Amino acid sequence: MNDLDQAKPIIGGTDLIVAIRQAVCSPSHIIDINGIPELNYIKEEGGFIKIGATTTHSQVAGNPLTASTPALYDAVSRIGGPQIRNRGTVTGNIVNASPAADSACPLIVHDAEVEVRSVEATNIIPIEDLFVGPKINCLEPNELVTEIRIPKPPTGSSSAYKRIGRRKAFTLSIVSAAVYLQIEGSICVDAGVAYGSVSTTPLRVPEVEELLRGRELTEENIIEASEVVKEYVKPLTDVRGTAEYRLDMCPVLMRRALQTTLERIRWVR
Amino acid sequence: MDVPNLEYDKILTDILGRKKFLVIGKNVIRTDALDKALGKARYTADYIPRDTSILRIFRSSMAHSKIKSIDISEAIKIPGVEAVYTGADVTGNNQIGYALPDQPFLNIEKVHYVGDPIALIVAKDEYAAAEAMDSIHVDYDPLPVYLDIDASLDENAIDIHEGGNIAVVTKIRKGDVEKGFKEADVEIEDTYWSPYQDHVYIETEAAYAVPDGSSKVTVISNGQSPFLCREKVAHVLGWDLNQVQIIQALTGGAFGGKDDQGPLVTAYAAFAATKLGKPVAHVWNREESLAYSNKRFPARITYRSGANKSGKVTAVEVDIILECGAYANRSPFWLWRQTAHAAGPYEVENCSVDGRAVYTNKVYGGSFRGFGDLALHFAVEQQMDKLAYELDMDPIDFRLKNVLVEGSRTTCDQVLDHSVGIKECLEGVRDASEWMKHRTPVWDGKKVRGYGVGLAYHGISTSRSTPDWSAASLLLNQDGTINYRTGIVEIGQGSPFGHIKIVSEITGIPVNKIIIDLPDTDSTLNAKPTHGSRGLMMGGTAAAKAALMLRESMVKCAAELFDIPEDKVELRDNEAYDKDNPDTSIPIKELAEEIYLRGYDPGAYGYFKAPKRFFDPETGLGVNYSVYTFAATVAEVEVDTETGETQVTRIWPAMDCGRAIDPMIIEGQVEGAISQGLGFTLMENIEINNKGQILNPNFTDYVIPSSLDTPEIEPCIIVEKPYKYGAFGAKGVGEPAIISIVPTIANAIYHATGRRFSSLPIRPWTMHKALKEGQI
Repeated sequence: MNDLDQAKPIIGGTDLIVAIRQAVCSPSHIIDINGIPELNYIKEEGGFIKIGATTTHSQVAGNPLTASTPALYDAVSRIGGPQIRNRGTVTGNIVNASPAADSACPLIVHDAEVEVRSVEATNIIPIEDLFVGPKINCLEPNELVTEIRIPKPPTGSSSAYKRIGRRKAFTLSIVSAAVYLQIEGSICVDAGVAYGSVSTTPLRVPEVEELLRGRELTEENIIEASEVVKEYVKPLTDVRGTAEYRLDMCPVLMRRALQTTLERIRWVR
Repeated sequence: MDVPNLEYDKILTDILGRKKFLVIGKNVIRTDALDKALGKARYTADYIPRDTSILRIFRSSMAHSKIKSIDISEAIKIPGVEAVYTGADVTGNNQIGYALPDQPFLNIEKVHYVGDPIALIVAKDEYAAAEAMDSIHVDYDPLPVYLDIDASLDENAIDIHEGGNIAVVTKIRKGDVEKGFKEADVEIEDTYWSPYQDHVYIETEAAYAVPDGSSKVTVISNGQSPFLCREKVAHVLGWDLNQVQIIQALTGGAFGGKDDQGPLVTAYAAFAATKLGKPVAHVWNREESLAYSNKRFPARITYRSGANKSGKVTAVEVDIILECGAYANRSPFWLWRQTAHAAGPYEVENCSVDGRAVYTNKVYGGSFRGFGDLALHFAVEQQMDKLAYELDMDPIDFRLKNVLVEGSRTTCDQVLDHSVGIKECLEGVRDASEWMKHRTPVWDGKKVRGYGVGLAYHGISTSRSTPDWSAASLLLNQDGTINYRTGIVEIGQGSPFGHIKIVSEITGIPVNKIIIDLPDTDSTLNAKPTHGSRGLMMGGTAAAKAALMLRESMVKCAAELFDIPEDKVELRDNEAYDKDNPDTSIPIKELAEEIYLRGYDPGAYGYFKAPKRFFDPETGLGVNYSVYTFAATVAEVEVDTETGETQVTRIWPAMDCGRAIDPMIIEGQVEGAISQGLGFTLMENIEINNKGQILNPNFTDYVIPSSLDTPEIEPCIIVEKPYKYGAFGAKGVGEPAIISIVPTIANAIYHATGRRFSSLPIRPWTMHKALKEGQI
C-alpha cells in the first residue's frame, strides 16, 4: 500500500466489489488482507473490547462480548442477510463511510476509537473523525484501519439501535438512531446519541447528549430531548425517503431507543 | 357462438368412469422439484460453453432524440471486438412492434427512451465489449421529452410516434349511464394511479444462438413461447419459420416479462450469430433487466360509481389512461382487458368505459401477471369499499348484493352461464377470517390493526376475437414410458407438470414414467404462448385430447389381448386390466410392446380450440373470454402510526379455479402472488429523473419484499365451479391470485387508519404524511 497509491484493501468486498462493478471506484490493485490471521479477533483487553479488521458481522454478533454493547449487536446481527454478514466486516462497514452504515452509530455512542496504521505510524483516532463525507473517509492511501476498540461499558449502562427500512431486513436504513446511557440511581450520568442517514456522515448530536446528562429520564424529559434533535439534523430527500419523513422520525427513533436502553438497564439490574 | 368441440369436464369423468381421481386434485411432488432444489436443473446460461462470444446492446442515453449519425469506426478496431451491428445491417425486417409497427429492432432514425437499442456489440469478452460500449459515438438532435401522460397529451406536444401520442382507444357503452346515476342515492368518484412494477424474475433475460450452416439457426432461450421467439427471429432475418429452431430451457420466472423480452433477446442473439457465423451468448445483468426490460404498464383510472339505498350498484363511468412508455407493445390488449373488466366482478346494468393508451419517453410497459386487472381492481375495489361505507353497510354484505352469479352479465354484457364462484369465495374468506368479529380497529400502543376485503375476476387466456387454441403430443415408448411434448413452457409455475397429471389420470401411467421434453419448435406442436393464465387450462386440455387418443390405442390393444369388450378395460397404476376380472391384467410396459407389435398407434397429438368469442367494436359488447377465474381475499394489516410502517400480518385467500388439478401448485401461486402484490402495494417503485433515466436499477434501491415481510398465509379456500370446455374443468390461477391482493391491503389500511390511498406504492413516508395531516 505504501508503493501503490491506487490500491485498495479488501476484506469482505460487500461494498468494494459493488463500487468497482458500478465504476464508482477503479483501483489499480486490490490487496486482500484476509490472509493476516492476527487481524481476525474480538476480545477484551486493557479495558477495551477490541475488534480486528477482518472480523465479520457474524463473528461480532455471535460473540458474548457484544452483550455489553447491545446497540452494536442490534446493528450487526441484522445488517444485510446471512451471506452479507458472513462476508462483510464491521471495519469495512465503517471505512466505507456511508451515512447509512449500520454499525457506525452504535460505535459512535459507545465512544469507539479506531487504530489507523501505516508503514510510518500507528494512530488512535475517535471513530467520528473517520467520517469525512458521504463514502469519504479520512484515511491516506497508505493507511489501514487495523482495529476498532470500544471502552468496556461501565455497570449501569446500556445501549440500543433502532432503524426504519423499506422492508423488514436486508435493506439500507431510511433513518436510524443509536443511544447509549449510563444511569446512577435514577439520574443519567452519561449519554450518547447518533443518527444514520440524516447527514453526509453518521451524525453524533452532542447537544442532545448534554441535555440528557444529569437529568432523570422521565417520559417528559425524554420527549423534550428527542424533539430537540430536529434542530441539529439536516436530512435530504432521495429514493430511500423524504427529508420531512426522516426529520419526523428522528424523535420517534430516539424515544424508542431511549426506552429500550432503559429497559435493558433495568433488566440487567 | 360456435358449438364448442367437447365438454371436457364431463367427458373425461364419463369415459374414465371413476368416482375418485387417481392424481387429479391430489398433491403430487413435481418431477422437476428435486433437481431444482439441488441446483442441478439447467437454465439457458448453463448451456453456454466457456469462451463463447458475448453480445451486448448499445443503448440510447437520450430519452427522445433524432439520431444524426452513429459512428462505430472506433469501436470495431478495439482488440477483442468481433463485430458491431446497427439497424443498417438488418436485411430482413427492422420493425418488430408487437401490436403496432412502432418499434425498431435497432434504432436508426430516432430514439424513444433512455435504453433504446441502437447497436449490437459482439466481443470475445466483457472487457472488450465494455470498451466498445464507450467507443460508439452517436450524434443526437434532441427532441422535447415527455415523462408523464399529461405532458404527452398536451396539445403542443410533438408526436413520439407517427399518428400521435395516443396509441389506441377503447370504449364500452352498456345500458344508460345517466339513468343509472339518477337512480343512485350515493355517488363516489376518485382517480387512482398505479405505477410501473418490475418482474424481478430470479433468472435474467438470456439467449444462446448457434448458426447451422448459412440457412438455419438454433437458439436456446427463456421466453414464454418458443413459437413467438421463432416468429420474431424469422421476421428479423427474413427467413421461413422452419429455418429457425428455438429450444426453451427451464426458465427461472417470467411473470409476463419474458413474453415480451424473450422474443427480442432471442432475436438479437440469433441475428448476431447468423451475421457473424458463430455462436453468440446474450445474457442480461440485473441492472439491464431493471432499467430496460418492459415493466407493468402504469395506469391512471378515474372512476365514478353510484349505488342505491338498497345496496345495488346502479352505474359506473370509467376513464382509463394507460401509459405505454416508448412503445405500444401489448397496450391494446392490456387496455382492452381493463376496459372489459371495468365494473369488476359485479353485475352493473349501466356502464360507460373509455380507454386511451398514451406514449411517453420512458421504458415501455408490457405483459405482467394480472395484465391490467391489478390497476383496474385497485380502483374498483376501493370504490366498492367507499360505497359500502357511504351507505353504512358492511363491505362484504354490500359486495354480496352485487357479485356476479350464474346468469349475470359482465361489463361487456357477456352472459356467464356457468363456472361462477365468486360468491362462495367471498363467503369463504368472510367465515374463515371471522370477519364480523373484526369490524373495529384494534390498538396496541402506537400500532393499529384493521381488516380489509378485496375481490377479483380475470378472463382466462386471450380476449376478444383473438383465435385461441393449443396443442400437445405424446409418444408411448416400448418400455411403457412417455415422452410428453408441449409448447407451454416451464417458468417455475408447474403447468407442464399439471399436463402430465392429466395424461397420467387418463392413461394410468404414473407421472414419474412421463418425461416432459424441453419445448423445441422443430418437434413440438405450437401451443401458443404461456400467458393469460392459459398454460394449464388450454395446454392441459390439448394434453387431455392427446391422452384420450393414446388411451384408445391402449384400450383397443388390451381388449384384443384379454378378448373382452373395450369398455371393460381399466387403465391405472401402471397396468391395464379387466374391470370384471382384475386378475386379468398386463403391465403397461408389456402393453406398450404389444401396441407396437400389433400395429396400434403409439403416438398421439391433441389440438384444442377454445369456444369462439366475438365483440362489437362500436359498443364494446360481446363475449370476451371463454371463462373467468374468481378470487377473494381478506387481509389483516398493522400500521405503526408513529413511523408509518405497514405490515401485512395475515391473509385469507380463496379462489374459484374450476378444478384444482394440484392444490400444492395453487398454494405456490397464491403465496408468490401475495408477496408480489404486497411489494407492489407497499414498496416497489421505479424512480425516474427529469432526463428519463432510471435511478434505481439495482436491488439496493428497487426494494421487493423478503420472507420477513410475508404475512401468515391461511390455506387457500378452493372453490370448484368447473369450466365445461377445459380438461377436468380447470381454470387458470397464476394471474387471478395477485389481483385482489392490492386493493385488499389498501382497504385494510383504510379500516385501520381511516386513510384512503389512491396512488401506489404506500411507503412509510407516504403513510406518515397522510397520518400527520389529521389525527386518527
